[in-house]
Amino acid sequence: MKITLSPYEMELVRKQLGREPNEAEWLTIDALWSEHCSYKSSKVFLKSFPSEGERVVMGIEDWQDAGALDIGDGWAIVLKLESHNHPSAIDPFNGAATGVGGIIRDIISKGARPIALLDMIRVGPLNNSRNRWLLKNIIAGIGFYGNSIGVPVVGGELDFDESYTDNPLVDVAGVGVVRKDKIIPSVIKEPGLKIIIVGLTGLDGLGGASFASRKLSGEDEIGAVQIADPFAGKIVLDVTLEVADKVEAIKDLGGGGLVVGITEMANGFGAIVNLDKVPLRVKDLRPEEILVSETQERMLFAVKDENVEKVCKAFEYYEYPCAVIGEFTKEPYIKFLYNGREVVSLPSDLLLSPPRFVWGAKKVREKRLNETKPEVGLEESVKAVVSRILSKEWAYSQFDYEVGTSTVLKPGEADSALISLPNGKLLAIKGDANPDLCAEDPYECGKSIVAEAYRNLASVGAIGIGVVDHLQFGDPRKPDVYYSFVEAIRGIAEASKFFQTPIVGGKVSFYNENKEGKPIKPTPLIVMAGLVKDKFLRNSVVEDSYIVQVGFTRDEMRGSLFTKLFGVYGDVPKTRLNEDYLASQLIVDAINDEKVIFAKDINKGGLIGAIFSILVKGKGVELTLSSIPSDTDDWVPKLFSENSGRFIVLTNDPDYLMRKAKGIYISVVGKVTKNYGILEIDDKKINLDKEIENYYNYLNEVMS
Amino acid sequence: MKTAVIKYPGTTCEIDVYKALLEAGVNAEIVRYKDFDPDKFDAVILPGGFSFGDYLRAGSIAASTETMKKVKEMALEGKTVIGICNGFQILVESGLLKGALLPNLSLRFISKWVYLKVVRFDTPLTRGLNKNVIRMPIAHAEGRFYMDDIEEAKRLAVLLYSDENGNVDEKVNPNGSILNVASIANEEGNVIGMMPHPERASFKLTSPFGDTDGLLLFRGLK
Repeated sequence: MKITLSPYEMELVRKQLGREPNEAEWLTIDALWSEHCSYKSSKVFLKSFPSEGERVVMGIEDWQDAGALDIGDGWAIVLKLESHNHPSAIDPFNGAATGVGGIIRDIISKGARPIALLDMIRVGPLNNSRNRWLLKNIIAGIGFYGNSIGVPVVGGELDFDESYTDNPLVDVAGVGVVRKDKIIPSVIKEPGLKIIIVGLTGLDGLGGASFASRKLSGEDEIGAVQIADPFAGKIVLDVTLEVADKVEAIKDLGGGGLVVGITEMANGFGAIVNLDKVPLRVKDLRPEEILVSETQERMLFAVKDENVEKVCKAFEYYEYPCAVIGEFTKEPYIKFLYNGREVVSLPSDLLLSPPRFVWGAKKVREKRLNETKPEVGLEESVKAVVSRILSKEWAYSQFDYEVGTSTVLKPGEADSALISLPNGKLLAIKGDANPDLCAEDPYECGKSIVAEAYRNLASVGAIGIGVVDHLQFGDPRKPDVYYSFVEAIRGIAEASKFFQTPIVGGKVSFYNENKEGKPIKPTPLIVMAGLVKDKFLRNSVVEDSYIVQVGFTRDEMRGSLFTKLFGVYGDVPKTRLNEDYLASQLIVDAINDEKVIFAKDINKGGLIGAIFSILVKGKGVELTLSSIPSDTDDWVPKLFSENSGRFIVLTNDPDYLMRKAKGIYISVVGKVTKNYGILEIDDKKINLDKEIENYYNYLNEVMS
Repeated sequence: MKTAVIKYPGTTCEIDVYKALLEAGVNAEIVRYKDFDPDKFDAVILPGGFSFGDYLRAGSIAASTETMKKVKEMALEGKTVIGICNGFQILVESGLLKGALLPNLSLRFISKWVYLKVVRFDTPLTRGLNKNVIRMPIAHAEGRFYMDDIEEAKRLAVLLYSDENGNVDEKVNPNGSILNVASIANEEGNVIGMMPHPERASFKLTSPFGDTDGLLLFRGLK
């Protein structure tokens, strides 16, 4: 197995310990000090996230497997977001499937019942057969696990960019529900508890945390990928929730395997574990392998003596392995024994205190010569932009999105998913990222993705209550990569603070690079959860209704889909958080007063991108350029700028919006017509028949 | 009538079916597969999911359990036996229903809302129905119904995939089933298997069109 510790770190270990660690101990330290488990290069900046709020029941600072937010009536939701990028690059089916499994186990380790999954997928362009193979297997893997375990995939994103060709991004978010007073910690608060492991340990996923903490080498790394077994996962889910009130702490065995699970759970106390008592899938595993194997579908429980039998009996009903392997001690040493021999004996303190790194950061602006506004015709640009907007039905029809009978708005139906909660409230949830903008200005991008998620929730009638984030970048030791990382965090922190949507959990994934060592576009991603105020909106498109733009269009074209297609120019869009806030409040009020029949925020593709979602519903649209409130007379930004703070709504009562508006522009910009597929801009008619067909069929055709 | 909803390891829809039965006013109970006592019940539902992971042919492991012997006894006594999705696969694998459920023609899992034409009204689920086109979702990877004897399939079929007007043709066939079959029953009509999920069309809030056609079927178990 490879070790990723640097010579400096190895020297640090020797100095602190006063001796040379043995092989098993090196593997232990390597796993715990891996970037994946220790956040050594990110912790300092992550601390700037707003993590407190009246709804926060369990936040980042509590060092738990997942964060929790109060949703009223004694209930809480548990939120978690993770990626499985490296494994998915090598074995996309198992990589994506185990990503789902890991998220679900993080949620049940809080004693919560998982009720929804979102998946956010980014791969290279589909004209490349390997990218198609990756996407096909990623979607199949998510479906395989999510469907079998009975948790609906209710939303997500699917996007394509050259920078993900070698290194796809596979992000999965999960939501669970739990009674607020029944949340279970992931760490112990007292020594003397017995350690129970359930599930079999195998040879797959050896050194996975360490593998995720370096760039892909191109060598055979399949052994670091874990194998997914959703049937076992389903038993673990059902029985864990059944025994939750009989355990003191629960931890998923994820990155770093047993050694990390035990050390983190001990939380500064110690542990003595007998590796020979761990139930194995294959005979004769070496103790070093048992230590760091990341085999899926395993959990750790910290249990009082008198409950040990009850817990294991519940697993035995389903013939699922359950074993007592040791106990937590007062002496702060992590000890692993094998046949009575001490294999690892290391101070908890050393393992839990990796060195912290703050790397150099440098702004590197790509030099573009002769940057000018591209010359493109109206019809050509409209057609090019809308043909990049695709129905994702090919993907979500492979997911059992109805299981649980709680999915109110189905995938693809609105800008945000909506699910019903056990207390009768409705939860909106949405993931957002914008790598094209992040590549131009990570700080503005960080603000923008939080604002976009806030608008997405508002468009169905919900107000954001909390965020989980995932920061995906290249090698942090590269100054330009680290610069974008620090800037993105600054933007996300600022916007989350502004919207009062505390960040209750997150994840950092570095070393996402292609084979030539070129990093992916910086891809911070957030998932926001919100609650419907009272009424929710189910979109409908009706002939003769007015199309109203809420918000102000600005000549800020950089990072947009238009400039991606035709050439970069212009200013970076600045997110004016207050405009997003005011516009979102107005939309939520209008939904509650039943004054809108359709609402969508303006993002990719600008106004035209939003209008296209009206056209694909079988209607036509008339737009008047002069009525679009804007700081420019140029039609390009009016139609394609992606600056934030804006919505498109359909209404029969535009006066209502004008009366209610505070500090934002409201303007009737057009009408819905009966002319299928015809977009009229002033006097120019553009027939979008073919583009609508492409919208519905492209993914099906290219992926079959 | 009292209805048992069986939970196998890997079953995912037992709570949904139970909730829908309550909504329809049916007296129901979720029973774990090893704890099932057929004498306590007048009807049994095998809900959807992935019994034993479906790592072999879907439903085949569950079909050979002790639990299914008890379900067979109930069927022979004329009690009502219903299999939904994976439950349908189990009924076919255990020989309680004829035919086979093959992988979808697209070779992938399909989740979508469909229209169904009701063609048999002599089963406990469809008796007294005053609609002949209903709507509910499907979600399966192995739902392509097949049978050698086409005439027999015609006779046994209960629901066919159709359009909103009840027209049955290949265009609206989601998985390649012969004759667009979505559900069949035995000759007597007391054992019914269906790929669509009525429990997912039993609640106004989560039904995209506001229909609750699933309840119309479940009311037959009152």
